[in-house]
Amino acid sequence: MATIDRIGISLWTMQSTAARPGLWRSLYRRFGEDAQLAEELGFHAVWLGEHRVWYDGWCPAPVQALAHVAGKTSRIHLGTAMYLVPQHDPAAAARSIATLDHLSGGRVELGAGLGYRDAEFDALGLRRDRRGRLMDANLDVMEAVWRGELGDPPPVRRPAPRIWMGGMSEPAIVRAATRGYGLLLPQTLRVAEYARVAEDYRARASAPGVVGTLREVWVTDDPAEGARHVERIALHMTEEAGSWWSMKGRFGFAARDQVDRQVARGVGEVATGTAEQVAAALREVLDAGVDYLALRPMFEFVEQAALHEQLRRIAEQVVPLLAGAGRP
Amino acid sequence: MRFLLEHPAPRGLDDLVAGAEAARAAGLDGVLVREWKELPGALVSAAAVAARVDEVLVAAEIAVGARHPVEIAEEAAVTDLGCGGRLVLVARPALEAPERYVESLDVIRHALAARPFRFEGAHWRVPANLPQNVDQPEELVRVTPAPAQPRLEVWGSGPGMAAALERALGHLADQDDDPAALARAWVAAEASPASIGAPRARREPWGGADALVRRLRDGRSAFGQDWACVVGPPEAAPEIGSLVRPRVQLHALTPGLEEFWDAERPWERGGRR
Repeated sequence: MATIDRIGISLWTMQSTAARPGLWRSLYRRFGEDAQLAEELGFHAVWLGEHRVWYDGWCPAPVQALAHVAGKTSRIHLGTAMYLVPQHDPAAAARSIATLDHLSGGRVELGAGLGYRDAEFDALGLRRDRRGRLMDANLDVMEAVWRGELGDPPPVRRPAPRIWMGGMSEPAIVRAATRGYGLLLPQTLRVAEYARVAEDYRARASAPGVVGTLREVWVTDDPAEGARHVERIALHMTEEAGSWWSMKGRFGFAARDQVDRQVARGVGEVATGTAEQVAAALREVLDAGVDYLALRPMFEFVEQAALHEQLRRIAEQVVPLLAGAGRP
Repeated sequence: MRFLLEHPAPRGLDDLVAGAEAARAAGLDGVLVREWKELPGALVSAAAVAARVDEVLVAAEIAVGARHPVEIAEEAAVTDLGCGGRLVLVARPALEAPERYVESLDVIRHALAARPFRFEGAHWRVPANLPQNVDQPEELVRVTPAPAQPRLEVWGSGPGMAAALERALGHLADQDDDPAALARAWVAAEASPASIGAPRARREPWGGADALVRRLRDGRSAFGQDWACVVGPPEAAPEIGSLVRPRVQLHALTPGLEEFWDAERPWERGGRR
């Protein structure tokens, strides 16, 4: 099957939650199997997240997890959404990524994020308030490694693995524009926001890269099933936001009403429904100036068989309806 | 005696896979990957080769001391989960930070256990409790996920021998280490019952089966060597499997058996292989 060059699948996290416990070694094996099917169906990439020191075992080492997938596949690209650049030793990170690039034949897509949990920075002896500076300093080192300035061989993909800057804040857009990176936007933006951010980025960049976004999807002909899926996402997001978001020194659960409002706003952007309905929602995103969709049917509460059915329906029923959408 | 095969100069994944396939076919326990210039991410190489070749152990020798040990533990745990518990983490003192090796080794071992911990050393403080990180002043940190193995196999390497033996860990000696010094260290370690069963490994050059048999018999009698990491091409694996391994398993073979092997060369008679 031909490569669907602007559609990737997200988001593996390797979480074993209270809602859906899983044996971690099975989750990693399943990730390889899922990626094999995604490759067979022609998708461009699979995307994996990163967090650390949390009860559910969210994957803290995406490059090593993607190396497993690299060994199980031969063509599909291997993306991070996001690799938390400030939380890694930059030279070692660059070399691990270069190794993945080499062993996979140039298939790395490095989505770069800041990270936001204090506990993650503190576990690694880093100041969270310096994460912006750390992002720039670490990217400088990583690029220097890939340019060979520290004596390393050149990457397979020239001049370097493709980098996508995560986030939608002005610093993220400026960083992406000035460094020549793509943008990988969060799934919760509204169509008008995509248009504004994409325009802003392209106006600032002398050589704009790809503008991509995560986007939650669930293809179903049964409206009740769609509603249940959205409810499950809301629960998932409430747990995460309640535990992790810091609001004036309090955790999200201490400000539950705020969390609920944010979660409700986020799940309002989930594209669910028939293939035609999902495609119509995605066409709006593409027409707003987004080049690339990292579609997210994958959550830890989704059974593998259901995920595989989603991958098939997206490839066979949704993607054909996206032809002609977006920028020429 | 158990065997790891280390590719002398892999150019990419195909070379690593060839080595691992050859090792498995020859009955060797696994392969060792290191931080090669072309492939500097040893845990990345380990994860990829393990994904392609089932069953073999994959040892990854990495520099420890330079970067944060929690990050290393996380990468090791994820690699071990990806390969279903086949990782051996071989920790070599980082050239640029040998003074931080011992503490780093301990932080890694704390982090690989499934319990919250706190570590305060001269070099590392985990969690750091930096005053700027005000949201979550945690006393303890639990590094997640835990590896697949009940207790991830961690070895020392090269100059890290004293620290490894003090902790009753396995250790991979370098091929040129003085055998008398290795013997003194490993025999002294026997004073502690914790050392029983701890792997005693040495990196071995591949210069043919006879030379390797001699080295391994010497290593076994001098310091109880029970692991050999043979630096050799995939083509060496069948000879190691048929000509070396059978001769170094037991303390002594039945008189006449080696002469029988030499005369009949049963590995050349076809059959299962």
